Amino acid sequence: MQSCKIGVYICQCGTNIAKMVDCEALVAFAETLPEVALAKTYKYMCSNPGQDMIVQDIQANGLDRVVVAACSPRMHERTFRNALQVAGLNPYFFEMANIREHCSWVHDDPVAATQKAKALVRGAVLRVARHEALERKTVDMCPEVLVIGGGIAGLTAALDIADAGHRVHLVERQGSLGGNLARIDLTAPFLNAARDLLTERITRVTESERIDVMLHSRVVNLDGFIGNYRATVEVRDADGLPRKTEFLVGNVIVATGYQEFEASRITHYGYGKLPNVVTSFEFELMLRHGRIQMADGHLPRFVSIIHCVGSRSQEFHGYCSRVCCMTALKYAHEVRSAIPGCHVSDIYIDMHAFGKGHEDFYRRSSEVKTLFLMYRKGDRPVIRRADPGDTCDMLIEVNEQLSGETIEIPADLVVLMVGMEARSDAHEVARLVNISQDKEGWFIESHPKLDPVATTTDGVYIAGTCAAPKDIPDTVAQARASAARILAKVARGRIEVDAVYAEVDEARCSGCRICNDLCPYSAIEFDAVKKVSRVISAVCKACGACGAACPSGAIKARHFTDAQIFAQIEGVLL
Amino acid sequence: MAIRVNPLLIDDLERYGAEDVQKCYHCGNCSAVCPHTDETFLFPRRSMRLLQMGLERRIEGSLEPWLCYYCGQCSDQCPRDAEPGETMMSLRRWLTSRYDFTGISRLFYRSPKAEVLAMAGLGLAVGIGLVAWGLGTGGDIRIYDGPGAFLRSEHVHRFDWGMAAVLVGLLGTNAVRMWWFTMYRDKESRVPLSLYIKHVLTLPYQFFTQKRYAECGERKPWLLHLGLMLSYLTMLVLIMFFLGTMQSDTWHWQAHAFGYLATVGLLGATAWMIRGRVRKQTPLHRHSHESDWVFLVQLFAVAFTGILQHVLHRAGQPLAGNVVYVIHMMVAVPMLVLEVPFSKWAHLVYRPLAMYFAAMRREVLRARAPAPLPAGARRVQAA
Repeated sequence: MQSCKIGVYICQCGTNIAKMVDCEALVAFAETLPEVALAKTYKYMCSNPGQDMIVQDIQANGLDRVVVAACSPRMHERTFRNALQVAGLNPYFFEMANIREHCSWVHDDPVAATQKAKALVRGAVLRVARHEALERKTVDMCPEVLVIGGGIAGLTAALDIADAGHRVHLVERQGSLGGNLARIDLTAPFLNAARDLLTERITRVTESERIDVMLHSRVVNLDGFIGNYRATVEVRDADGLPRKTEFLVGNVIVATGYQEFEASRITHYGYGKLPNVVTSFEFELMLRHGRIQMADGHLPRFVSIIHCVGSRSQEFHGYCSRVCCMTALKYAHEVRSAIPGCHVSDIYIDMHAFGKGHEDFYRRSSEVKTLFLMYRKGDRPVIRRADPGDTCDMLIEVNEQLSGETIEIPADLVVLMVGMEARSDAHEVARLVNISQDKEGWFIESHPKLDPVATTTDGVYIAGTCAAPKDIPDTVAQARASAARILAKVARGRIEVDAVYAEVDEARCSGCRICNDLCPYSAIEFDAVKKVSRVISAVCKACGACGAACPSGAIKARHFTDAQIFAQIEGVLL
Repeated sequence: MAIRVNPLLIDDLERYGAEDVQKCYHCGNCSAVCPHTDETFLFPRRSMRLLQMGLERRIEGSLEPWLCYYCGQCSDQCPRDAEPGETMMSLRRWLTSRYDFTGISRLFYRSPKAEVLAMAGLGLAVGIGLVAWGLGTGGDIRIYDGPGAFLRSEHVHRFDWGMAAVLVGLLGTNAVRMWWFTMYRDKESRVPLSLYIKHVLTLPYQFFTQKRYAECGERKPWLLHLGLMLSYLTMLVLIMFFLGTMQSDTWHWQAHAFGYLATVGLLGATAWMIRGRVRKQTPLHRHSHESDWVFLVQLFAVAFTGILQHVLHRAGQPLAGNVVYVIHMMVAVPMLVLEVPFSKWAHLVYRPLAMYFAAMRREVLRARAPAPLPAGARRVQAA
């Protein structure tokens, strides 16, 4: 092996590292390691002076490898690789030793912590000596986009992309656009008609030359990688006969929405048995038809709205569905304006009024004399038929928390605020586009706070309620964010993919295909002619599973070669 | 067993002045700031809740509205402008109408028009009756006192006592009904007889000192209220026992000194209160139900005509004195007959009674409450 000149930099991270690790001792130790040309310590290596120090040392002392002992590589590996590049060095001649999260933050004995830091630095030094120069590849970016789902999220994302001049393929399973929003009458809290919000979107989408709307359709296959996906869509024609169509897209937006909770699963409420117990969607239908009525056609005198049906409970869904509270308040307004003498009660656990204008809306609902009755989580109200002498249809028994009384309230119509849940076919979509679901079935974003629209699969984005319950503004914001992310990538024409990926040595591959199914990212394809497996480098996330599993040792994970890993292990075993 | 609620009660209470109770979202700031709330009588939040939910029976059985003196701190602190102080006031009106079995109180509170009409009708009847009586008994409108007087004091005196008997009868039955609602109807509200004896002094003590009002924080409203009450009481005693002395042509400085003092108290206090309600500067005065205006204006008018007929008499104007005397009776009689048992006046009985009952209930509930836990221990709730 060729000898090299390694620079080692020990970051103090203010006092984060220095208070537990003796940085001077670490410098002295690093200087004794093989092939280390210089070692230094500095207060903040990630600062501009810290980075400049590395650049100057590379140029002045001819360093060809760099180790920075600092925080997690998730934090600053990119920063230091850039510094190497500025200095004219291949960025992969760099290794980071994590002596903050893995050392100073988690230990309370300075002597032992310093000892551990030495081991981590030695591992990094031995490893970096075996690093190879790697080149990043660039691939073409197809500007066309596949949008799955024609609700408010899909429509909005499609319009933004089409407005930027790119073709969109919009696939909708149903016979019409609009999704769940098309089932809603007015929206909370400003009482705009959902119809008005949608018709503008739908008209523009159907009239757009750049948006190819496919109704009664579903995506049946998606191959390829970012910039180069091949989608297969099954379209039903006018006769209902399926026909397959294929096209190329660069990116995919998943906007498949939610389904409502099945109210009959909660037996307390008698849904399906009591004729005047309806779900919020059935009530929306009444509102859209302009008549709130009981099953027998009479006007109700007492309307009760039960919150958190299926949400915020141990047996069903633990999460909050976020839109029901405001929708319930909206019903109070709508009922009072349609039937002025009608008494409205809201039977709730907590009132979640977190959004813009929501608190004010809540206040106004009190002013129209809505009675708010609080029940405890898990202690559900019980609905029963009224007794023969009563002047109401049903009675609801509530263990009311704000008064401490067990009460019985008359009701003629009960509206169940059914929560949102992940669609029952969400797992099929997840497998199709290769994204993950959480335990509730919602699609998982790349980072819940910093990257809420991307997924772990490059080029696949999620928008709206397929990711979690959301209201309309949040859904639209996420849709537009995903469109913006895609447009930013499309604007660059080509995309750079990380140089760290697995490679198959075709000469040694036996074609056993073990790795094909093992790959969690579907990044390995099989060449049926040559009878060998091949890694699609743009899709590979360099997890290394294939390399570990390959019985022939034909798969090499770049930047994670056996030699590099063994050297690092040897290094840490001081 | 679940209690049936009456969700429409809140609509009914609106006519008694509780217009904002539905805005309350039960943060509890009102109860936190209230100087009178304690572990037994939690208010105003609890009362607001009972009203929002329409738990009629519970409200009927509650003493809390009478324990509140409307200092208004709760209304000032309320983040939702739900006016807890005014809600308590409205509940007092509603309870007054519930204690009254005749339904007249309910009619008056819900319809100020009916109240004013009844006042006017009775006033007119009194006027006609007195003129007829004066003429029928051979009285001379130009003679104020002594033989041949238009309204002879012994006649008026007898009439007053008759009226007092009716009033005591009505107020007494109302008080019994109040006792039945709050202290007997529900088994858990009953207290042993011995407590009635033990706490009986609470009744006169609170009646004469209104000490609880003084605990509201500011002393001025208490002094004003106490002054008004003592003036009224003084005047009542003078009229019921010394009417002859008051009305006679001879000067009795002992009685008259008290009379003037009481008149100054009545006129001063009512004028001050009217001014407060017009200006609306304190929470207590921000909202005025029609019954509040009737109460003050009527009392002022009674005091004013009372002193005026006296002055005219003393000034040697017996004719004018007699005319004003008739007018004075036309205002005073409806006030006493209609307002005292059926409207705001009734609180002079209900408040001290409520404090008497509350003292007993507090003792019973404290004895029933579990002993305080040693430091650090936690109570485990039964499943």
